[in-house]
Amino acid sequence: MTRKQKKRLSDALLSLLALCLGLAIIFPVLYGILGAFKSEAEFAAYPPTLFPQSFGYTENFETVWRQVPVLRFFFNSFVVALLGTGVRLVFAILAAYAFVFFEFKGKRFLFFLILGTMMLPADTLLITNYQTVAQLGLMDSYLGMAITSFVGASQMFMLRQNFKSAPLALKEAAHLDGCGDLHFMLSILLPISKPVLVTLFVQGFVTMWNAYLWPLLVTNQNDMRTIQVGITMLTTLEDTNYHVVLAGVAISLIPAFILFFFLRRNITRAMAAGALVG
Amino acid sequence: MKRKLTALMLTLVMILSLCACTASAENTKITFWHSMSDNAGVLMESYIQQFNATVGKEKGIEVELVFQGSYADATTKMNSMLNTNQTDTLPDVMQLDATGKVSYHASGVAYTIDQARADDAAFDTGVGALLNAAMGNWNFAGTQLGLPFATSTTILFYNKTLLDSVNMQAPETFADIISLAAALPKTTEAGTELIPYAAIPNTPTLANWLGQLDSYVVNHKNGSEASATELACIDNGALATFLTEWKRMYDEGALKNTAASSDAFVTGQLALYTSSSSNVTSLLNKINGGFEMGVAFYPKVNEEASFGASVSGSCLVMFDKQDDAKKAAARELLLYLTSAPIQADFAVGTGYIPANENAVNEAVYQQLLQEYPQYKVGMEQLAVTPAAMRSVTVGPSTDFYYAIQNCVSDMLEYGDDAETTVDIMADELGGLLYQYAQANQ
Repeated sequence: MTRKQKKRLSDALLSLLALCLGLAIIFPVLYGILGAFKSEAEFAAYPPTLFPQSFGYTENFETVWRQVPVLRFFFNSFVVALLGTGVRLVFAILAAYAFVFFEFKGKRFLFFLILGTMMLPADTLLITNYQTVAQLGLMDSYLGMAITSFVGASQMFMLRQNFKSAPLALKEAAHLDGCGDLHFMLSILLPISKPVLVTLFVQGFVTMWNAYLWPLLVTNQNDMRTIQVGITMLTTLEDTNYHVVLAGVAISLIPAFILFFFLRRNITRAMAAGALVG
Repeated sequence: MKRKLTALMLTLVMILSLCACTASAENTKITFWHSMSDNAGVLMESYIQQFNATVGKEKGIEVELVFQGSYADATTKMNSMLNTNQTDTLPDVMQLDATGKVSYHASGVAYTIDQARADDAAFDTGVGALLNAAMGNWNFAGTQLGLPFATSTTILFYNKTLLDSVNMQAPETFADIISLAAALPKTTEAGTELIPYAAIPNTPTLANWLGQLDSYVVNHKNGSEASATELACIDNGALATFLTEWKRMYDEGALKNTAASSDAFVTGQLALYTSSSSNVTSLLNKINGGFEMGVAFYPKVNEEASFGASVSGSCLVMFDKQDDAKKAAARELLLYLTSAPIQADFAVGTGYIPANENAVNEAVYQQLLQEYPQYKVGMEQLAVTPAAMRSVTVGPSTDFYYAIQNCVSDMLEYGDDAETTVDIMADELGGLLYQYAQANQ
């Protein structure tokens, strides 16, 4: 076997492996979406089927629409996810820039202090965060739901690693041309970091979109509920009604699909550049 | 000057009287947190709308209904508020399941049913119509914490078509399950394994089976009168009796040591299925005419045991917001939601057992019983369930639950005898209770 043939074979094997992995990852999503079109009896049928008998069966979606104010919950989730992700990204950019391009006393200590917060399980902060938000009078507000996500150590860390890969000469050249720090960051550094920023935005947005317990804790008005709380409204307490829940989940996946569709090139580029660790 | 002063005084009196008029015309607003989702959630919303439009309108009460996620989520939220002393943000009425009982009792802001009965004679009379078995589940340390709202118990569902084909009746005891398993074919028509019965005992099911043997799992009546500190089923031999019979079922091939699923039952792979009495309609819908489903009492450990299973579900509790008008409004809401017409309607819509004894006389419920006679079984079983039977309330509830499952599973998988397993469970479960008591002294 020639070297070219060997290369072709290993490429084919790798592609096959990637395809299998891709299918394994996408399968639960596909199964969920297909399940949303099944009736209760169809869902419980044995042997189980992957595809529904008809994609025209929309009763599950109608049930979701009837039982949950989907549009209002969608709007709430959108505002909270956008606010939380946007502000977090701004803070992460500023902190990462400072850690890469500025020299100041205690820089290392502060950096590790921020990283150390990643070790704290979110559940342990629940009560103290709740107390803070309640005392600030932020219950039943978008700010109250998003405020605990305004600072994220992992985003800061990933951006710091990305900014470090930018050649220092670039900054020196910009300075020589009379470019200040803010101008350099906005006009040069951020445009070349666009794939990473987009990926962090999508990742953050989806995480905030999927948040359940915190938005539930800090809201007491039905009008302020998010879509994930809406999905809980569809579950039954003593048995399972997967078909309706999956219809709710399928609806809640729409924004993630839209985001991925429009930003997929940037995400792929960021991953190919090895900018993200997880 | 004097005239000006008089005019000023008169204006002030007018303003004050206007304020008073507005205040008296204003409704008493109360908040109600609930955990009802799916159809039950839709029903709950309609009841509150009805209440606001009828009793509420008449008595000047307005209820704001707020969904707070599952029972566990709502309890987490209540605990967060209690731990941070944000008690003013607690609701006036809340729906709780057993997981929130101890926290509510210790909250310091509970407005218990006992207090409400003492405050209001009409409330006291209204509560009298509720089933004792259902009420008893929400009594802790001698205090009636809440009123039962969504009530269910565990019963046996069986594949009647399959049992008829081998001329067998629904089993009453573990020994009957063994006889049934011997008569059943080993495979389904589709060629897959036919499982006679599948279950792994956990805290509530162990409470049922030991309760049938006139024993509690832990002391203080399964932790319903005070915090449980030790096991109460070792010295009386109840745990040993249960484990011996359970192991016999497994050894005879009548029991599979795995958690049963409703899907296995509705697809004909499982002959017997023990689950909540509220699942009748849901199971019939899933079976979709595939076979005839029978319903029977929860199986007994042996002939000497009593029939019955403890009550589960949720109750309605009230918080003391230091406002008599709100307390009165909360009492009205509780009476309304536990009244016979609402309990009957809720039972028809969800499958829960009505907690009000007069609900069975309601036309809608009679119609349900005619259409689905299977619903009678839950009520009949509740009527014969020993009054002393209680669900288990322990501090380390999660660890306790899994320790029971692991110990019983290990006995079956590794072939240990019942006596050895009793010793192991005494050590493990007793250890959990001891550690919890030490940590919470």
